[in-house]
Amino acid sequence: MQETEPQRKEIEAEELFTEFKEHSVADFFKKNKQMLGLSGKQRTMTTIVHELVTNSLDACEEAGILPEINVSISELGTEYYEISVIDNGPGIPEDKLASAMGKLLAGTKFHRLVQTRGQQGIGVSGIILLSQMTTGKPTKLISGTNKGKTVSIEITIDSKTNTPKVSDKHYLENKFKGLAVKCKFKDIIYKKGQTSVDEYIRRTAIANPHLTLKFQDPFGEVTIYTRTVSKLPSIPTAVKPHPRGLTVDELLTYARHTPARKVCSFLTSTFDRFGQTSIDNISALVHFDLNKDPKTLTWEEAEDLVNAIKQTKFIAPSTDNLVPIGEEHIKKSLKSIVEPEFLDVVTRKPAVYQGGYAFQIEAGIAYGGKAGRIVSVEKTIDKKQVITEEVRASEIIRYANKAPLLFDAGGCAITKTVESIDWKRYGISKFEESPITVLINLISVHIPYTSTGKSAVAEDPDIISEIKLALMEVARKVGIYIIDKKREEEKKEKKKVFAKYAPYVVEALAHTTGEKEKDLLLKNLNRMVLEKLKMEDEGIKIADDEISQEDEGVIDEDEEFKE
Amino acid sequence: MPKSETTLVKKREHKGLDKYETETTKDIEQRTYQLAKDIVEQIKTNRHPTFTTKVRGLSNIYFDENKKYIQLGDKKVVRPFLNLGAARKFMQTMLVNDKCNEYLKEGKTASIREIYYELKRTVANTKENTFDAQSESDEVIVDVEHAVSTIREKLGLHAESKGSLYGDITLKDLKHDNDVFNCNSLGRGGWSIMSRIEPEEVEIVDVNADFLLVIETAAMYNRLIEEKYAPKHNAILIGTGGQAARGARRLVHRLRFEYDLPVIVFTDGDPYGWYIYSVIKSGSMALAAHSKYLAVPDARYVGMTLTDVETYGLQNVTEKMKEGDIKRAKELMSYPWFQSKEWQAELKFAIDKKIRIEQQALANKSLDFVARKYLPEKIEKEIFL
Repeated sequence: MQETEPQRKEIEAEELFTEFKEHSVADFFKKNKQMLGLSGKQRTMTTIVHELVTNSLDACEEAGILPEINVSISELGTEYYEISVIDNGPGIPEDKLASAMGKLLAGTKFHRLVQTRGQQGIGVSGIILLSQMTTGKPTKLISGTNKGKTVSIEITIDSKTNTPKVSDKHYLENKFKGLAVKCKFKDIIYKKGQTSVDEYIRRTAIANPHLTLKFQDPFGEVTIYTRTVSKLPSIPTAVKPHPRGLTVDELLTYARHTPARKVCSFLTSTFDRFGQTSIDNISALVHFDLNKDPKTLTWEEAEDLVNAIKQTKFIAPSTDNLVPIGEEHIKKSLKSIVEPEFLDVVTRKPAVYQGGYAFQIEAGIAYGGKAGRIVSVEKTIDKKQVITEEVRASEIIRYANKAPLLFDAGGCAITKTVESIDWKRYGISKFEESPITVLINLISVHIPYTSTGKSAVAEDPDIISEIKLALMEVARKVGIYIIDKKREEEKKEKKKVFAKYAPYVVEALAHTTGEKEKDLLLKNLNRMVLEKLKMEDEGIKIADDEISQEDEGVIDEDEEFKE
Repeated sequence: MPKSETTLVKKREHKGLDKYETETTKDIEQRTYQLAKDIVEQIKTNRHPTFTTKVRGLSNIYFDENKKYIQLGDKKVVRPFLNLGAARKFMQTMLVNDKCNEYLKEGKTASIREIYYELKRTVANTKENTFDAQSESDEVIVDVEHAVSTIREKLGLHAESKGSLYGDITLKDLKHDNDVFNCNSLGRGGWSIMSRIEPEEVEIVDVNADFLLVIETAAMYNRLIEEKYAPKHNAILIGTGGQAARGARRLVHRLRFEYDLPVIVFTDGDPYGWYIYSVIKSGSMALAAHSKYLAVPDARYVGMTLTDVETYGLQNVTEKMKEGDIKRAKELMSYPWFQSKEWQAELKFAIDKKIRIEQQALANKSLDFVARKYLPEKIEKEIFL
């Protein structure tokens, strides 16, 4: 019998590839939600705001403009919102507007070792795509530059060709410089709390003292964070990796992609602080010729090389590329936003962690005032009435390259390290219940995240150690303040205790004895109180003021004997 | 000493007030004044205000072998104002002392609850009160008592009244139109003992009896009245209703020392009942300083005893002792005034057998058994423990 089954038609490779491409962009979002920070309705909301704000900040900073960004969220329906971000940046020329914003993964930063805020890297184009995927609606862009007119367009991205489609292009009368992005989303939600947009905005304002940030929530409530510094931070530059901490695998990866023809020139050209002296030192240690082609390095040779590197001293990595916020700047913004009673900040010297990446830790502790977060606590009054009271509890605000890390707090090395500190030593008996804001900013050209979600820092021993040292440095000063303050409060409290009872003592005494000079008695008594407190301050104790030890052991009344 | 029914009632001779009773109200008033005056002087001369009272802890309590009652030693304690932990109490003490001074000046008396309410107010500019609970003023009252070496009754204060008096005894209430009354003719309940039985308030005019029987339970007190025990045996009855209150103890004390009236105690046969006897006889630790006003060292104990169980065949009406009873019995064994061979044996027996016997268990024989046989026999033959 002949095969009756019809012959399947062969599909051309081009056709297959087209389908692949068509699906890829949309699938990219669906399949990698976790990685893109788009898992969870509240988290997606925060990620959107983050991408848009970061884009604006970067644009302003690159153009040398002190940034002023307005963020507003309005609710259009159930889990349906419009988010708009307007900046005062350079704007984008009309002819570049669509391509700059509407091409997915078009950035140039991807393969550079540079300190960037962008954690997710999906950029504004990704946001535009997400918008059209969830609502089928275009994103509105308004751009104004120093030259030309203010232009408004609506844009969608053709996921087939990864090209922007422009509609409703028109010019606006209003003079405007900067960029406005307005887009709609479904399946996201606005909520208050530790991982809210409000918190993202607050933390962004804290880490960017040169930024003026306005935020309008869906209820119309406006929060304004005014800049406290009018100097722009310097722009981070790309750098080479430092040889310290380099692994065999990393070394081989670099070796395979180098244009260098010899291992020695590969080393000097690829790595930071790798000069001729280093080559001389290394060549004495390795068991192969450094003039060989780096592409032919075997695993064993690479291992040999890594060992040699370990035994060689290198100058610490260049740190010009790391741009910390700076002690004074963090102090200014914390003072303005957290309004604490006491505040101290340290920016540590740069260090290197496994992999040869330079990093730097900034730590700040704000105590009292509006420090910490507000939590509701149920309290029982008179053993029956239960009331809810708002009190301040500690908060840990984490940053990676100045960008707030809001999610996965529990799995983050920063949180774990802060919690591992013995706070009691610094006068904070119950850390969780204290009005305290702990700020940690980890700066690096390469932040070691725990996972693709990029919201928690991995537990690297060098980073943990630096965070600890930074915290201990600031905690010591905060501790001194807290202990002094407690002493001062005790003194005040003591004075109050005596002051409130003194009039009653005098009144009773005068009544019993018929004494007329009540004022004199009160004056003398109050003076004795002050003298006593002053003497106590000086460490002098007065024996007859102490209650006799023998006056203890009260005996029950006879009547209480039975039952 | 007890006489038969036919014996003529013996009118007891008044021996005069106990020597401790000679302090007048004016004396006490002067002492409260002096306490305040001394502090005023201290403040005027820029010395830290303090007053001195006695240590009332166990370390300062002892059994006086000569006087045969619990005494408070001479250890003093200084109460300062300028001490964070003591300031509030100092203030409270001044208020109580002033109020007592006022009561004495004006001839008023108040219950310890009343003085608490009278002095309770909000401290200016605060949320706290001068006194938050009566326990606070009660504690301060004790301090004032010790600071001016007197009892609260003499400061114009009194506790709740408790206990009843019955029998051929005539009293005169000097604070109530000088009412004169005989406690035989106040009905079956007798006279409700005031918490203040001070000589300047209640005068004991006439006592016609051979002895005073102090009874623990109200039920037994009522039983003896119903059985006409008092007239038949020339007895005066005091029902304490549990542990004797200060008023009842003062009255027992006065009857013993003003009229030389023998005191016999009749309680349940258990550690609690025996402790009631102990308090009447030797005073209590809480009021160690006031034993001279309260203790009756030669009081005798008639029952119940565990020997009675054997003697009167009450084996089937005993009760089991609880853990607390046993603990208490062991404490009693260690008291100096329970060191007689007989008491040690009794207590040991109780601890070993873990049994107790109530007064009312005598009803197992018959209701009138206690009045007809038990008490007359034991008292006649002086079978005391």
